[in-house]
Amino acid sequence: MPEGIFCNKKPVETEEELTALLGDTSGTQYYKEMKELDVDSKLLWTTIQNTCKSRIRTWLEICAHCGMCADSCFLYLVNDRDPKQVPAYKIQSTLGEIVKRKGKVDNEFMRMAMETAWAKCTCCNRCGMYCPHGIDMGIMFGYLRGLLYQQGFVPWEMKIGAGMHRVYRAQMDVSEEEFVETFQWMVEEYEDDYVGLTVPVDVENADIMYTVNAREVKHYPEDLAEAAILFHAAGENWTIPSKGWELTSLAMFAGDWAACKMQVESVYEAMERLKPKRMIGTECGHAHRATVVEGPYWAGRKDGRPPVESIHYIEWLAEALREGKLKIDPSKRIKQPVTLQDSCNYVRNHGLRETAREIVSYIVEPGYFRDMSPRKEHNFCCGGGGGFNGIGLFRPQRNKGLITKRDQIIATGAELVLAPCHNCWDAIRDLEEEYEIGIKWSFLKPLVISMLELPDHMKPEE
Amino acid sequence: MYEFITGFMFWLSLGVCLAGMLIRTVLYFRGLAWNLDRVAYKAYPKDGFNGAMRSIYKWLLPFGTHGWRKQPFMTVIFFCFHIGAVIVPLFLVAHNLFLEKKTGLSLFTINNSVADFLTWLVVASAILIVLRRIALPEVRIMTTWYDYLIILISVLPFITGLMARYEVGNYNFWLLAHILSGEILLLAIPFTKLSHVFLFFASRAQLGMDYGIKRGGLKGTKMAW
Amino acid sequence: MFKKILFATSATEASDHAARVAFNMATTLKAHINLFHVLGVPTRGFSQVVLDVKTKEKVEIDDEYIKWVEDEVKTYYANQLTDGIDASIKVAVGFPHREILRQAREIEPDLIVMGGSTGDESDSVYKATTGSTLQRVAKAAQCPIMVVNRPAASFWGGMSSIVFGTDFSKASDKAFDFALKAAGELGCEMNIFHALDISSSHMGFTLSQDEIEERIRKAYRVIRSRYVSKMEKKSNFSMDVWEGIPYVEIVKYAREKHADLIIMAHNSRKLDGDAPKIGSNMEQVIVRAGCPVISINR
Repeated sequence: MPEGIFCNKKPVETEEELTALLGDTSGTQYYKEMKELDVDSKLLWTTIQNTCKSRIRTWLEICAHCGMCADSCFLYLVNDRDPKQVPAYKIQSTLGEIVKRKGKVDNEFMRMAMETAWAKCTCCNRCGMYCPHGIDMGIMFGYLRGLLYQQGFVPWEMKIGAGMHRVYRAQMDVSEEEFVETFQWMVEEYEDDYVGLTVPVDVENADIMYTVNAREVKHYPEDLAEAAILFHAAGENWTIPSKGWELTSLAMFAGDWAACKMQVESVYEAMERLKPKRMIGTECGHAHRATVVEGPYWAGRKDGRPPVESIHYIEWLAEALREGKLKIDPSKRIKQPVTLQDSCNYVRNHGLRETAREIVSYIVEPGYFRDMSPRKEHNFCCGGGGGFNGIGLFRPQRNKGLITKRDQIIATGAELVLAPCHNCWDAIRDLEEEYEIGIKWSFLKPLVISMLELPDHMKPEE
Repeated sequence: MYEFITGFMFWLSLGVCLAGMLIRTVLYFRGLAWNLDRVAYKAYPKDGFNGAMRSIYKWLLPFGTHGWRKQPFMTVIFFCFHIGAVIVPLFLVAHNLFLEKKTGLSLFTINNSVADFLTWLVVASAILIVLRRIALPEVRIMTTWYDYLIILISVLPFITGLMARYEVGNYNFWLLAHILSGEILLLAIPFTKLSHVFLFFASRAQLGMDYGIKRGGLKGTKMAW
Repeated sequence: MFKKILFATSATEASDHAARVAFNMATTLKAHINLFHVLGVPTRGFSQVVLDVKTKEKVEIDDEYIKWVEDEVKTYYANQLTDGIDASIKVAVGFPHREILRQAREIEPDLIVMGGSTGDESDSVYKATTGSTLQRVAKAAQCPIMVVNRPAASFWGGMSSIVFGTDFSKASDKAFDFALKAAGELGCEMNIFHALDISSSHMGFTLSQDEIEERIRKAYRVIRSRYVSKMEKKSNFSMDVWEGIPYVEIVKYAREKHADLIIMAHNSRKLDGDAPKIGSNMEQVIVRAGCPVISINR
């Protein structure tokens, strides 16, 4: 059986296919079929010839096998310095081999490559900063994921995630109506406490177009209300698009580049339709990277930028606090040991290493902030990035991976972790569940709201 | 024999090496694809250039980056090896006399005792690099015979050079061996991992542009990695 | 007044008392009862894994599993789901408070009935405070919430006495309107009660007895002007003002009046990080009262 019913080279394109794939609990049959899946060596080699250009080829060639990348990888460190976890080894033994053998690899090899690409690398790009030759193995793993996806060797949840984007233009089955309706519901729920709260939908020429993570809509819509409260309190002229509101891209984790393109184009269309001055995305790391940093390239934009200036939520928050649009009651600032989780996807991959620290300076009582070590662009991945959090098959590896972050947090002595990134937030939540170190963790929005000096017009009548 | 290897062979190996480096460098940069690499190289030439220069400069400085600082032992032997390996071949008095005879040109030269010291440093560092390869599991796992061959090709001219310098046994034999191994090295540069002598700059420049343009450079963040 | 009841259940012992009241009401008032169960909390980011709230196991959700849980709920309430009753069952995945609110928004019930706490009954943590699901639902719901934490002595069918506890807040006025309507509909006695808070921790100083009595007189005046004036048609009512720690006094008063129901407003609607607080009086009353408690928000 070369092509399975669930596990095959065809992406999920329709709702029915998606439901059917979801119905295969835990991907039991999916993974069984994967063992039989044929490798299309010709396609693999043609793709490599067309897409593997001098950058990656040179990286593969000049790698000196010096092992200096080893210590940069948290998965190497946490797995008792297993030499098989050295980044250079991981990429040479997978992508390097495929290129060397001109695509003539077998099923078993591809399954090994899949495990390496999704369970031994989170594409955090840290190793790239420690290689004398400037070889970024995270980028190569991203590329490898694309090759594996094309051949059907992709974890079950990743195939579903990419399919969600193809079918719903969102990472979960949330329709456009549901999004707007949920946002409105949340605003209604909170309008008694925050007078005048509204959610402007599809307003043209607004200053801000706000985009979110579908999971907020589905499971914790309070986040939507919180965003509305803060925009409202800051007196912003903002709007949400009824279409093209999803900032995230599981397709990026899956290596489904076609779906990546579809997804960001839906957001860019919203930008072009509504012509906002700026786009602001929610507190999510990979979503920012997908839509703001990588997205322009998928969409074929030569200047490498989205159609309108797009910033991360923390950039807006820092600006609003700096300019006094949002006022903090100093007596309500955080007065417990607190640390910050730097998200790889917008710190190492977009340079926002000071932004969250500026916010900390406004919302944390001086003396209570404890930085992690290493920090900023050298910070380790939360342990759940790049799709790792969501893949059932690799759960044990992921749980092991959380230990790095656990120990980093313990070393700070912090009781609260600021995690302005969905993936990091999830990983820290899971590490608390798994290892119980007695910490709390939070996005920035609820914390800022709890210490906000509400403008008079928003205060409810007593 | 001497005539052949200092004549035809010399010109051939030097020519192949220089042309090879040039061609490969050009091919490298022509092979950069803004859409596949996802870096808008051409849209921001200035930021890209600054990023590239910063990236190269920082990594040429011993302990200039977190990567170097993280591994002091490796950094020391690495720089000892490379400083000698670059300076001695280019600036040795004897080399420049030879070069002048051949081309009429010569470069700045270094004191012979400094050259001796640097050469010993290269050999000693090479031994330590090999020992490191064997001793550390994270390096051993990736090491192949090819890696040792590359080290051998790079160190052989220095060993034979020393033999000739101290006239151990037959001077003429060591001199021939030295010239020959040097020419093998030149020939190997464009076609093996030794291509890193120029592709290092290319690859670093590429990642420097990546950071300088896409990953925060345009936001004014200069990553000092 | 009560045509549609949303009964949010954990389908465990924790919800048994609430179930008895909810089914009883549905039967006697011929109301539709919607059994709503949130089977699990999503975990692991975007994966399909949820934490089953009953078994505490991590399970993967698919249609089959949901169907199976629906059957479980049906089986659990097999005795109550008799022919005469107009009931429906819905099972959902998500954070319980959010899903209950989502369901409430969808079906617009007249009343939400909940158990006092979820989780293991023997667990002292759950006993000491009311679950945060309840707090969050009470904060945001558009309709009254009835909480049944302890076995209720008598049920709606034999309803004869309502206690309305007031702190004279605006929200309390809303609660009064509801209480009055309920008392009228159900034909039972209305007992208006105010507790004068003299706990020193609250006041910061001790009151003399003269002062206390002066304040009590004042409270009676307020009750008369604010509530009694609205009750022209009602004859069977009483009013009392006692001094003490409010939640203790309300519970004591309800016991003395053989109350079948306590109705109160819940005032504090501030979000407090992970655990929003209902006014702590409300919380304490819920934990201690020997009858169902209805919380009115708006």
